[in-house]
Amino acid sequence: MNLERIPNEEKLSLCRRYYLGGFAFLPFLWLVNVLWFFREAFLKPTYTEQLQIKSYVKKSALGLIVWVAVLTTWITIFQHFRAQWGEVGDYLSFTIPLGTA
Amino acid sequence: MRKMTDLISINCVKLLISALFYTCVLCSSVEQKIYVVLNETVPCVRLLNATHQIGCQSSISGDTGVLHVLETESDLDWILSSGPHPPYMVIMETAFFNRSVMMRMKNSSRVAGVAVIISKTGLADNFSPHTTCPNQNTGVYSESYGSDLANCNGTVWNPLGNGLSYEDFSFPVFALKDENQTQVLRKCYEDHNQRVNGSAPQYPLCAMQLFSHMHAVTDTVTCMRRTDLQNRFSINPEVLCDPLSDFNVWTSTRPLNNSAKGHAADESVVIAATRLDGRSFFWEQAPAAEGTVSGIVTLLATIQALYPVTQEAPPPRNIFFSFFQGEAFDYIGSSKMVYDMEKNDFVIDMNNVHSMLEIGQVGLLSGRSLWMHSDPVSRQNKSVDTEVSEMMSRIQSAAAGLKLTVDHPSVSQPLPPSSFQRFLRARRIPGLVLADHNTSFTNRYYESMYDDAENLNVTYPPGLTPDEQLVYETDAAKSLAEVATLVARSLYLQAGGEENNLNNITADPKIVAQLLYGFLVQKNNSWFRSLLPPEVTKKGVNSILSPGPPQFYIGLGPRVHGPAHSVTRFVQYILANLTGTVTNLTESQCQNPSELSTENKDLFSYFWVSGPASVNGTREPFCVRASVRLSKAVSPAFELLEYGSRNYSTWTESRWKSIRARIFLVASRELERKDAFAGRLSDSPAQRRTSRCAAGWRSVLHSGWDSDCLRHCADHPLLQIKDAFVWR
Repeated sequence: MNLERIPNEEKLSLCRRYYLGGFAFLPFLWLVNVLWFFREAFLKPTYTEQLQIKSYVKKSALGLIVWVAVLTTWITIFQHFRAQWGEVGDYLSFTIPLGTA
Repeated sequence: MRKMTDLISINCVKLLISALFYTCVLCSSVEQKIYVVLNETVPCVRLLNATHQIGCQSSISGDTGVLHVLETESDLDWILSSGPHPPYMVIMETAFFNRSVMMRMKNSSRVAGVAVIISKTGLADNFSPHTTCPNQNTGVYSESYGSDLANCNGTVWNPLGNGLSYEDFSFPVFALKDENQTQVLRKCYEDHNQRVNGSAPQYPLCAMQLFSHMHAVTDTVTCMRRTDLQNRFSINPEVLCDPLSDFNVWTSTRPLNNSAKGHAADESVVIAATRLDGRSFFWEQAPAAEGTVSGIVTLLATIQALYPVTQEAPPPRNIFFSFFQGEAFDYIGSSKMVYDMEKNDFVIDMNNVHSMLEIGQVGLLSGRSLWMHSDPVSRQNKSVDTEVSEMMSRIQSAAAGLKLTVDHPSVSQPLPPSSFQRFLRARRIPGLVLADHNTSFTNRYYESMYDDAENLNVTYPPGLTPDEQLVYETDAAKSLAEVATLVARSLYLQAGGEENNLNNITADPKIVAQLLYGFLVQKNNSWFRSLLPPEVTKKGVNSILSPGPPQFYIGLGPRVHGPAHSVTRFVQYILANLTGTVTNLTESQCQNPSELSTENKDLFSYFWVSGPASVNGTREPFCVRASVRLSKAVSPAFELLEYGSRNYSTWTESRWKSIRARIFLVASRELERKDAFAGRLSDSPAQRRTSRCAAGWRSVLHSGWDSDCLRHCADHPLLQIKDAFVWR
C-alpha cells in the first residue's frame, strides 16, 4: 500500500490499529509499524496527525525492543540448558534432535 | 517475428532438457568413480542403561578423516600431535587395540574415528573388553547381603578386563574382519598417505568416512521418555531405542502343565541352568566359546545322558533344565524367570525349587579339577549349609568313577557372576556353580571377539571334509563329555535317584563333538539342518543357517527382528531332538494338535522338523513331541515401566538409520575453497580438472560441469585401486 495517496486521518487510524494489534502477542505488527511509518513520523514535513503517529511509532519501537530482549534471553537459556533440564526440557520441546543430548 | 521467437524458445527448452538428462544420467556414475564402498565392516553401537550410555557415536553426516595406519609408537605421536592433516581416521593394528591407546584417542580432538583390524597376528596374550567385576550391581552381593564381598572386594573375577566395552566414545569405531578389504585400505594408504623420507605426505590424500549415527542419548530413562513423547504427539513417531530381549529355553524330565501357573502341586524341582548369550565390543559379534558355548554344550550333553534313565527309573524329584538368555547384560533372562515365579506367572514357583546347580565356564579344564562355588552368606544358616554340603558330597561321589576331580574353593569366597545369584536374591536356596576356575577366570578373552574355537582348543586336523569335521572328537569334546557325565550323575543323585543306576548315565562324546562343531565352527551343517523345520533350511541369505559360527549376542528379539534369535532356536530344536518322541502326525495336525484327543498341548510342544537327508537329497519331515518351551526374556523393568530401576536390567540398544563406510581421495581445504568460488577463473585447465576430480563430488557441483572431467576421471589413480580388487 502506498502511503502517499492516503489521507492523513487514514494514516493515523492505520498506525493506531497496528499499534493496538501488537498487544495481542503480535510483535511483528509493531515491527511493521515502525518500519512502515518511520518516514511518515520523522522524515516528512510536519502535519497535524504527525505528532500522534510519532508517539505510536515510538511506543511500537519500545514494545518491539522489549519483545526482542525477552525472546533472545529465553532462546539463549533454552538452547543452552535444555539438555540439563532432563524431563522438563523434553516436555517443553517441540522436536528433540536425535543422537545429541 | 513471433514464430521465430517461438522456434528459438522451443529449441532452448529441448536443449535444456537434454542437458539435464545428460547431467543426471552421469551424476551417479561419477559418484561411483569417486567413492569405494566398504562392505565387510562391523560397527560399535550405542547401548544405554538406567544411568549411562556406552558405545560409539558418529556425527549425523558421517565422520571423515585422513587415513593413517597405526603400526608403531611414532604413528601414535603423528596422529595425536605432529601430523599436519588432522583429523585422522586411524587404521589400528591388533596390537594397539588396548585401553591406554583408546583412552588417548578418546581424549584427543584430532581423531575422527578408528577402524580396528581384527586378526590373530599381533594379538596380545589376553584381551577382555568387559569390566573386572561383571554384573556387580545386579548380583546378590550388596550393602545388605555380604557387604564385604560386594563389588568384587573378595575376589576379582575378571582381572584382565580393561572395561573398553563400557566406555563412551564420541567417534565411530569399526572392525575390519575381511583381509581383502584391509588390503584395499593399506594400498590406498601406501599410495597416497605414506610419509616420504620423514616429510609429510602431499594432497590429494586417501580419506575414509564412517557413518554410524545413533539416535538415543544419555540413558534409557531419557530415551524411553522421548519415545513416548514421539508416540503421543508426533505425526511420524520415531522409536529411539529398543530393550534387549529374547527367549529363555526350558525343559524338564517330567512334563509340567504349561497352562497351570503358580505353585505346582507335589513338585520338588532341581534346577540345572546355564547361560545362552555373550557379547563383545562390536555389535552382534560374540563367538563366546569358553564363556557360553562350553556351558550350553555341557548342559545339552547332560540332558542327552540323563533322559533315558529318567524315563526308565524316574527319580522322586523333577529336574528342570533352563538356558538363560541375556545374562551378560545384568541377568535379563534369569531375573525375568525369578520375577515370574514370584508373581505366580510361571509353571513353578520358588516353593517348588529344592536346589540349583549351575554350569559356568567349564571349557578350559586341561586336566585340572572342576570347582564347586557356593555362597558363604546363605551357608551361615545351618540347614542351607547341610544341604549344600550334601550336594557337594553327591558330586564328589559321582566323580569317583570318572577321570575328573572336583574341589571346592575356600568357604569365604563368594559366588562368581552367575544366574544362581538372581535366585538367591529371591530366596536362600541351596545351590552350586560349577566352573573350571578357582579364584578368577581362566578365560583370557572373556566376552571378546577372540573367545572362539581356538580359545577352547577346538581345532581339526587339516584335510577333513565338513561332514568328517562334524563328528571328529577333539580333546575338548572328550573333556566336556566327562563334565557332562559328572553333571548328569550328580543331578540324578540330587533328584533322589538310586546309586546303582549311575553307570547307565554317560554322555556321548560324538554328540558333544557335533554340538561343538555346530556352535563354534559352522552352524550350517547336516545335523543342524536335519533338526530344524523345512522352511528354515530352504530360506535364502537371511536365514538363521548362514555360513560360519553362530553369534551369541542377545539382540532385540521378536518385536524387531522376527522370530527368536538363531541360537535360541538351535537349542530349542536340539532339545526337541534329544528329549522328544517321534509321532506320526501330519503337518497340519502338528500345527494344531489340540484337535486330537491323544495329544496334549499343555504338557508338550509339537515341532515339524526336516529330518535327515537321504542319499538322493530329499528329506521326509516328521512331527516331534517334546516338553521344551520358550519363555520370554525381557527385563522386568520394562514391564513395570521402571526405566531407572536399580534392581533389574535396564539395557537398551539405540536405533540408527544407516551404518556404512567408504574411502575416497580428498583435496586440501584451500583447493576446495578455491574451486567452489573461483571455478573457471583458476590457473590452468589441467589443474582445474585434477582438482575437480580429486576434491570430490561437492567441488564438481560448485565449479560447474565439464564433460572433459569424465574423460580425465577415467585415468584417476583412485579408479586404478578399485580395478585392482574386483568387487562382487
